[in-house]
Amino acid sequence: MTKVWCLRCLGSTLWPSFLAAAVASVVFFASIDPETLRMQTLPDWSISRMAGYTIGFFMFWGVGLLSSSLTYLLSGGISDRNE
Amino acid sequence: MSKQEKEVTVDAGMYVAREKIHPREVKGPFQTLRNLAVIVLLGIYYGLAWVQWEGRQAVLFDLPARQFHIFGLTFWPQDFLYLALLLILAALSLFFFTALAGRLWCGYACPQTVWTEAFLWMERWTEGNRQQRLKLDKSPWNSTKLLRRGSKHVLWVLFALYTGFTFVGYFTPIRELSVGVATFNLGGWETFWLLFYGFATWGNAGFLREQVCIYMCPYARFQSAMFDRNSLIISYDEKRGEPRGGRGRNVDHKAKGLGDCIDCNLCVQACPTGIDIRDGLQYECIACAACIDACNGVMDKMDYPRGLIRYTTENAMEGQPSRILRPRIIIYGILLLVITAGVLYSLTQRTPLAMEVMADRNVLYRDVDFETIENVYTVRILNKDNQAHSYVLTVDGLPNARVITRPERIHVGAGSTDTIIARVQVPRGAATGPGHPIELQLTSQSDPDIQSTNSARFHGPDE
Ligand code: SF4
Ligand code: SF4
Repeated sequence: MTKVWCLRCLGSTLWPSFLAAAVASVVFFASIDPETLRMQTLPDWSISRMAGYTIGFFMFWGVGLLSSSLTYLLSGGISDRNE
Repeated sequence: MSKQEKEVTVDAGMYVAREKIHPREVKGPFQTLRNLAVIVLLGIYYGLAWVQWEGRQAVLFDLPARQFHIFGLTFWPQDFLYLALLLILAALSLFFFTALAGRLWCGYACPQTVWTEAFLWMERWTEGNRQQRLKLDKSPWNSTKLLRRGSKHVLWVLFALYTGFTFVGYFTPIRELSVGVATFNLGGWETFWLLFYGFATWGNAGFLREQVCIYMCPYARFQSAMFDRNSLIISYDEKRGEPRGGRGRNVDHKAKGLGDCIDCNLCVQACPTGIDIRDGLQYECIACAACIDACNGVMDKMDYPRGLIRYTTENAMEGQPSRILRPRIIIYGILLLVITAGVLYSLTQRTPLAMEVMADRNVLYRDVDFETIENVYTVRILNKDNQAHSYVLTVDGLPNARVITRPERIHVGAGSTDTIIARVQVPRGAATGPGHPIELQLTSQSDPDIQSTNSARFHGPDE
């Protein structure tokens, strides 16, 4: 049973946060250029835009994952089917 | 992600409650339709990346340059509205088609279904049909199994890598990318995304398959809210089929009190999500219609009429008339039409020029001489057109105002931006006190229709 549990746990945390991160990245980077952001905060750190997008995406994913996991935990996991 | 994959690979062998599903191959009109959908959609995905248009890749989401090229059109971050509208359109069409035809999307067009189907084909080529695959699963490791499994995985991995490569090819020009791959000279981020996307494809289409639909897909959960009694669903005709039971081909089953279902289980074996459609509508059902094709084949063999499992609506099943035109269909339909028309219209009206005006924050105004007051602005010009233009800046809103730019004709290349300093001069006395509204207008010299207007404030001395 633990295998299924694990799969479902990942399915209901990793995946929703991935979707949310994708939408958030599109909206965020459409209005904000990672290049300007870098210039204003860490001008000495030379990274490409591509790296900026990637880091941004994984940051959103991380935050989403945290939130999804907490929801999963607080709502007592999945108990709707087959159990 | 890697953890997830590991779980599943282990799963296939060790997990009993849900065994690895080997859908039986079926033939029939819906299967043909689905194969066609796979070929067309994958053809578009893999082919479109290579199409050239006016000397560059036709569809290219050039993230490093922050511009999207879609055939003749170039979109900038300033065109975000179109992206938002496009997303709204996509959501609306999903509502519309779900209300009308149920999970049409899931069965024929969802990338998960399409790539799973493609991976299944490869599995079939290398490991054989359902029976052979089931046998192979059970057989001990020997050279045949190693060969078959091995070649399957080689095919899968190559296909997944090529999928990842194509994906990155929509963001980095694919021709350059292929040179990079061929010479083992790929940028770090490109490599990362290629592997990441390839890995996701391989895991989702090779291993997770129906579990994505069952455990991970949000659409599968909320689509029932978009259904009504007139939506097209796939359903087993219980009245006709029950009581089910085996029988010989020439037996008069009606006399024996049997229904039309011969309980051959072919519909269950064909189902990619491993459910029994005879148990009623279930949210696991992706409406792929494989069970229809399977059962129709059986019905043909038995000389029974087709359609024991068929596309129908809840109303039709209960002998009530089904209506296609219902309020929600009409509302979704009208909204879809209006927004699509609006987007198309605004695309034709789109001016390929944008401008931003920022006032100099350090000095409010400057005295040029005894007669003249000057305000300085920074003007950012964005030429969204596919050819270079020379622009001229003019000013309006204050009597005898003029604007000086250096150079006077501002040349901006195709799809480029330029920032210039514009000095607006007004006779002393024409503007006293702060905050007079003025308008700056930028006009292309070759095409006067291409122009952009921005308002700004002009500050004069208090007198
Ligand atoms: S029940 Fe039929 S239509 Fe639904 S997923 Fe299974 S085979 Fe496809
Ligand atoms: S394929 Fe048709 S006849 Fe066979 S078990 Fe399914 S519903 Fe019954």
